[in-house]
Amino acid sequence: MSLADKTPAQASLVDIVDVRKSFGQTEVLKGVSVQVARGDVVAIIGRSGSGKSTLLRCINGLETYDAGAIVVDGIDVGLYAKEGNLRDLRRNVGMVFQQFNLFPHLTAAENVMLAPTVVNKVQPVEARELAAEMLAKVGLADKAGNYPSQLSGGQQQRVAIARALAMRPNVLLCDEITSALDPELVNEVLRVVEGLAREGITLILVTHEMRFARDVGTKLVFMHRGKVHEEGPPKELFANPKTPELQNFIGSVH
Amino acid sequence: MSDFSFWVILSNLLLATRWTILLSLIAFVSGGIVALALLFARVSGKPWLERLTRWYIEFFQGTPLLMQLFLFFFGVGLFGIDVDPWIAAWLALTFWTSAFLTDIWRGCVEAIPKGQWEASDTLALSYVEQMRYVILPQAARIAIAPTVGFSVQVIKGTALASIIGFVDLTKAGTMLNNATFRPFLVYSLVALIYFALCFPLSWYAHRLERQLNVAR
Repeated sequence: MSLADKTPAQASLVDIVDVRKSFGQTEVLKGVSVQVARGDVVAIIGRSGSGKSTLLRCINGLETYDAGAIVVDGIDVGLYAKEGNLRDLRRNVGMVFQQFNLFPHLTAAENVMLAPTVVNKVQPVEARELAAEMLAKVGLADKAGNYPSQLSGGQQQRVAIARALAMRPNVLLCDEITSALDPELVNEVLRVVEGLAREGITLILVTHEMRFARDVGTKLVFMHRGKVHEEGPPKELFANPKTPELQNFIGSVH
Repeated sequence: MSDFSFWVILSNLLLATRWTILLSLIAFVSGGIVALALLFARVSGKPWLERLTRWYIEFFQGTPLLMQLFLFFFGVGLFGIDVDPWIAAWLALTFWTSAFLTDIWRGCVEAIPKGQWEASDTLALSYVEQMRYVILPQAARIAIAPTVGFSVQVIKGTALASIIGFVDLTKAGTMLNNATFRPFLVYSLVALIYFALCFPLSWYAHRLERQLNVAR
């Protein structure tokens, strides 16, 4: 499943070009451009209200944008959204949420199996194997039969990751996936994500975990007031922030 | 009139109760099927579909059931079609039931957190698949108690069908009263029978509601 080594690295998998978005009178994205190559691990950081979550949600059409373009693996998101045809896009773009959003009436395995069986028409036997494989990947092979309410927050979030991975997405979007967790549960989730990064899965994460962004990320995007204020290799940016805003931000979260 | 003993009255009422039960069941089931279809339209997120369904619901909730019965019974008759009271009562009660059930179920669907829609969205499920596998199984749990509670309204609603000549419990009561001139006895028995039908249902609805609250 390594997607990283097949295609030339310079071809972007996700191309965000001058995207603008307003909620009523407030413009939250003021012309944002970001390129994501296959195998990239992009960490988007910034203060709350800087537009980072909105940007992430625009990538798979959970939010619409007003101007600009987002192209994911050749699919123009805005165009497909207008036609009400986001299914092809979403088959290839996984997402993990802050609040896990597991289906409470289904077991962990059933959560993971649902989309492969319903959307990709995978046979039940294969789907069950797939679920077992994905749950094992996130270290929860023994929890297949548990309902979400019987799992800890960290375990629930790992099931949510397994659920997204079961669709074999080209890119995985993570929207502050550790922010709702108790501090002692954060690491088990980050370790899983780190494993995915090592496998070469393309990741775009909105995160407050600065150390994780620096150590695992291949690219850092600092958003400030609806714009990309600074971007580059994480280690460089953390060591030498060029703008006072990023300097302040790093200072305030450390 | 002395040949109408208490037992004769009661047994005749009980025989007519069959039709009340049958009409209630049929109206409830067909109303439920229509309501399920309407529910998909009501929460579809498509403005014109939602508006259309809202008008439908407003119309059947905002006019008396009796008027709806008359409309079906006499209205269709205007076109030269002879409408059987059975058919008219069934149609009117189906539409009326579907309007209320759609509204009750809409509330249950809207009680499901937005994150469930978003998660199933991002997994590429279509609207119908989302409803079928994610939303409705959860909404159904909340919907059972108010739905059972509403079935009581349907049973009582069937009493109106007696006015267009449908021989149900109420109509049998009227006929027996005309024959016996013992209105207090007859209508007391009629009321008791309705109560015997409805009370177990509302009791059960309350119990379901309590169970659900505990489970939560």
